[in-house]
Amino acid sequence: MNKFFYPAAAVLILAGSAFTFLAAPGWQITEGYSISFSSDDAGGIFKDFKGSLLFDEQNPGAGKFDVVMDVASINTGNGLQNKHAKSDEWFDAAKYPQIHFVSKSIVRTASGYQVTGDLDMHGVKKAISFPFTFKKTALGGTFAGSFMINRNDFNIGKPGGDVGEQIKLDINVPVTKI
Amino acid sequence: MMKKSLALGIISGLLAGIAGVIYARLYYSINEADFSPVVSTVKIITASLFGGVLAAIGYTLLDRWLKARGEIVFNLLFTLISFITLLGPIAVRLPRNIDTPELFPGMVIPMHFFPALAWFTLKPIFIKSK
Repeated sequence: MNKFFYPAAAVLILAGSAFTFLAAPGWQITEGYSISFSSDDAGGIFKDFKGSLLFDEQNPGAGKFDVVMDVASINTGNGLQNKHAKSDEWFDAAKYPQIHFVSKSIVRTASGYQVTGDLDMHGVKKAISFPFTFKKTALGGTFAGSFMINRNDFNIGKPGGDVGEQIKLDINVPVTKI
Repeated sequence: MMKKSLALGIISGLLAGIAGVIYARLYYSINEADFSPVVSTVKIITASLFGGVLAAIGYTLLDRWLKARGEIVFNLLFTLISFITLLGPIAVRLPRNIDTPELFPGMVIPMHFFPALAWFTLKPIFIKSK
């Protein structure tokens, strides 16, 4: 047996177990979440939202968000509008079935936290930053954020028109600790 | 005339409401699309009753003003108005917790014709043609 095997194994186990303490705790998305968007004329929600949320209030830098929304789950409250929103004129759900966000960094701010990451939507990947808060509850907590994005940055719809270019996103995600 | 047309309006409205409730239940069992938070049993019956009573008032007024032509104009208007009201369920935005808004017009559109259907069916019993 190589004389370095046991020392190397010990270092690996030690390092591995240390990382479990350093890694941010995971949170499970629970029922009652809301991912809604609104503009001057249109608004709706994405019903299907899933992903992994690693977040530690004391060490936000160690956190990581990797979430996915199913474009076909869009609900504006009107059947014709749903069909229109999923069409190639807007989100093109057949070609781009998911909206994917992966965080790169999370920092603490005066009013809460700020996450920066890549938003992959409608075939365009773009770095975005938005503020959010995390409120602890007895069973877990709630992530909440509200921010604007420009739909033209993601080639969604034609520039101008009746639907505003600035789209407001409101996120409210209750979670429980894994 | 008002008494007869009002009786016709109330009875046809109620029957349209009952038909609407039965249709809503049937629609739910076939499509598993529950719109009861938006269109409750009470709302279906009161809306149908409203349509029936409105038809009774319209019929009486047109009968007085236009005499023999009143019925023809009324029938045309009742059908036309029933068609126009279809824009409502097509354009409505339901609460976003309702999962299948695309199935909503399919449930409500037939109901918009029930008051007219009940009126035209029961009219010979209440009011004899001139």
